[in-house]
Amino acid sequence: MKELDKDVVEHALEHAMGRRVDYAEARAHSAFSEQIILRNGVLEAYLQSVDSGFNVRVLAEGGIGFSSTNRWTRDEAKRVAETACRLAMASGRKTRIEFSEMESNEADWRVEEEQRLGDVDPESKIGLLTGVDKEVASQGIDVPSRVLQCFADQVEKYFVNSEGSKISSYVPRVACFGIITVKEDGKTEQAARQFGYSGGWEAFDLWNVPAELVHESMVLQRVMREGKPLMPGETTLVCGTEVVGIASHESCGHPMEADRILGREMSQAGRSFIYPGGPYWLGTRIGSDLVTIVDDPNVEHSYGYYAYDDEGVRARPRYLYKDGIINEFLHNRETAAKLGVESNGSARAVGYDREAIVRMANTYLMPGDMTEEELLEDVKEGVYMRSFTEWNIDDRRFNQRYVGREAYLIEDGELGSPVARPTIEMTTKGFWSAVDGVTKDLRFDAATCGKSDPMQGVPVYTGGPVIRLRGVYMK
Amino acid sequence: MSDLMDKTEALVRKAKALGADEVIAKTTFGRRTQIRFSNNEVDISKVWNDYVTEVSMAWQKRVVATQIQNFVDAEKRVEDLFRLAKVSQPNPFYGGIASGSFTYPESRVDIRLRDLEEPTGYVGEAIEAAKGEVGKDLNAGGTLYSYYGDVYLVSSEGPMGMDARSYIELSIRAFSQKEASGHGVSCSSTLDGFDPASAGRKAGEIARLARDPVPGEEGVYDVVFDPLITGSLMGIYSMMSSAFYVMIQMSIFGNKLGERVAPEIVTVRDNPAAYSVANRAFDDEGVPAGEKAIIDRGVLKTYLHNTSTAKIFGGETTGNAGLVVPQAWSIELDPGDMSRDEVFEKLGDGLYLTNTWYTRFQNYITGDFSTIPRDGAFLVEGGEITGSLKDIRISDNAMRMLNGVKAMSRERQHVHWWEMDTPTLTPYVLIEGVKITRPR
Repeated sequence: MKELDKDVVEHALEHAMGRRVDYAEARAHSAFSEQIILRNGVLEAYLQSVDSGFNVRVLAEGGIGFSSTNRWTRDEAKRVAETACRLAMASGRKTRIEFSEMESNEADWRVEEEQRLGDVDPESKIGLLTGVDKEVASQGIDVPSRVLQCFADQVEKYFVNSEGSKISSYVPRVACFGIITVKEDGKTEQAARQFGYSGGWEAFDLWNVPAELVHESMVLQRVMREGKPLMPGETTLVCGTEVVGIASHESCGHPMEADRILGREMSQAGRSFIYPGGPYWLGTRIGSDLVTIVDDPNVEHSYGYYAYDDEGVRARPRYLYKDGIINEFLHNRETAAKLGVESNGSARAVGYDREAIVRMANTYLMPGDMTEEELLEDVKEGVYMRSFTEWNIDDRRFNQRYVGREAYLIEDGELGSPVARPTIEMTTKGFWSAVDGVTKDLRFDAATCGKSDPMQGVPVYTGGPVIRLRGVYMK
Repeated sequence: MSDLMDKTEALVRKAKALGADEVIAKTTFGRRTQIRFSNNEVDISKVWNDYVTEVSMAWQKRVVATQIQNFVDAEKRVEDLFRLAKVSQPNPFYGGIASGSFTYPESRVDIRLRDLEEPTGYVGEAIEAAKGEVGKDLNAGGTLYSYYGDVYLVSSEGPMGMDARSYIELSIRAFSQKEASGHGVSCSSTLDGFDPASAGRKAGEIARLARDPVPGEEGVYDVVFDPLITGSLMGIYSMMSSAFYVMIQMSIFGNKLGERVAPEIVTVRDNPAAYSVANRAFDDEGVPAGEKAIIDRGVLKTYLHNTSTAKIFGGETTGNAGLVVPQAWSIELDPGDMSRDEVFEKLGDGLYLTNTWYTRFQNYITGDFSTIPRDGAFLVEGGEITGSLKDIRISDNAMRMLNGVKAMSRERQHVHWWEMDTPTLTPYVLIEGVKITRPR
């Protein structure tokens, strides 16, 4: 793995600080990545890469300039710094961009690995994935397509800024993707699953991928054999943790990103139903009292874990919706300054060649105090949507749709026969306001959150307990 | 520059000397700039310099690949890669890489894009044009990209080539109200074909027409699709035409070669031609990346192949090799025989949708999916726009929609933006019987 040359990074910062800038930072990011692609048990390819470079970002004359390179020389550092300064000064803004105040931080943090990624040889990694495939293929269920991908990344970062912050970090991350197609009586159904972890190769023991994918195969087969479409109408909906997680991410996390709220993502990822002077703002009710959604980078070994964000701000939990009320936006230093608050450490970048923008980490609904039995026993007729397949949401994050992958009818508090592709299309307020029961479980799923231009897919957890919604129109 | 070709070739020689069966090395030295703007002002200006060599090799049907930056530790990295190949597993379906020597068309790259230092003025042109449509209430955001790069490819099996690639593209979204917006793009491989003001005007015009939207109604509609939304949908169809996606059953086109999948007026090509922002002379195996019809007058003619997938399907490579799997470069939907206005006349009553995002499938084999229109969505009566709509969703089937194409315009636009992976040259398209849903 390429060692970060801290001298070059510091040289870049010093050079930028020698110009007439209000603020400067240099951020290095070096990733050693492995990717294994397996199709129906056959290794398609083993990819390995080192992606290593650094950037300089400056604030000067009210504008921001950013320049990056993967050439590690002092001359290049100087050139990159000069380019960033020139770009900032050429922005010609009428309104000046500012960054919120923060204390400088010095830190050296890392995520520990029980089984170091670097110590696991390629044969073992391939062998483990091959084993997963064999397990899925040997259950007597027709799974004609099985695609498994494994990613193992070791990421080193070094951040310095003109305010004295100096932060080094090391984060190993592992991810596994499985896409299966199950065939039954001429019909097909498909499922995609993602697993993610910050840490070492021990992740595979924690995930139990074979059991999870075998379960998915059985679910899809059963849906094709027994699943019936739902009669459209109002009913009680129970959402499993996977559905709660995606809803928390899409209809709480995203609309609470302050860069969307302020319009900075307006032409790509979009805006938010929350905006200055609009009907929804801090203090406005968006859900029932039972709805508290937090975004917390500090969940240990989570896929979205970080101790300091990519602007050097200490990470902390953010209570986005609290007791059903819009409570706190996600901020980086630019958006925080615009709204007169401090950054809450939400700036993330996926590489040396990307700017740090407002992102989620691990977004989940806080658990309540019910058991799943208690939640269900009060349901005379309803639908339990345990997981989802197709989903999407508009760019204001208000109009969303989830189609069930594993779903069952509920009859007198008991789970009944499977339902084929039950669908909800609801507003954000409608969804969260209908919640009248929350279990004490908490489960996370890994996801890759896409945003920004160029695209930055950041690792996150989504999650929550099981929840009950009353009076939901389903079809 | 021949120094870079020499260095690239040296890596191939090194890998062969180690014992690799086939090796390809591709070096890209590129410079990309970006200006992002929102609320009518520039937010950030960026410059990226990238110096990357991708090396892929096969040894006894074991396929491995790596990325080397700026030739740092290059020989050692090739040695590491070969060691990796030796402990990897064979892929019995691996069919080698292209062999022989090819001639490539001369690049028509725009040298001016290499030295473009401060393109902020183009952003101003687009915003001003949008303001001309919307007036003082305009709130616009977007992105301007420019790129210039040299590519050197050497294959152990013969192909060797140098390509220069360039593009400039501007994407602008204009708001006239918080829920009324329009999107426009201008995309070109050269400055000559680049017109930021036209992108701004279109975004502004749609935003102006989209004022005071009301929730749309569920139902089945005939719909005219703007080039921007058609381009997004074409990107999905082109992905599904990659042989790899067919093999992993993420395609509606499986087992349909030679079958009718669309009406006769539909011809879809892959063509990374000189005008395209995805212009290229050769694919990642060094095969000329020329024009080919994927759907020819409604009939599925070919999947997109590299050498390996072509052997599996019993055909020839189509010049679409990516690093690992075949992919479309730049899609063209052939024009129709009527003007844009005539397409709207033919529509009569229905909808006009201008953009979309978040296209997601329940099942890639059956093609059941939904996607969320964004920006201007209009009710059309008697061929005229009579109202602005919001909160609607297309919840339909990809194969049914392809079969539902009724008319296309002569006018076409080359489109590409953040939501669209594959650049597309496309007309306005009328599709009948599109299922629209909305939240309750």
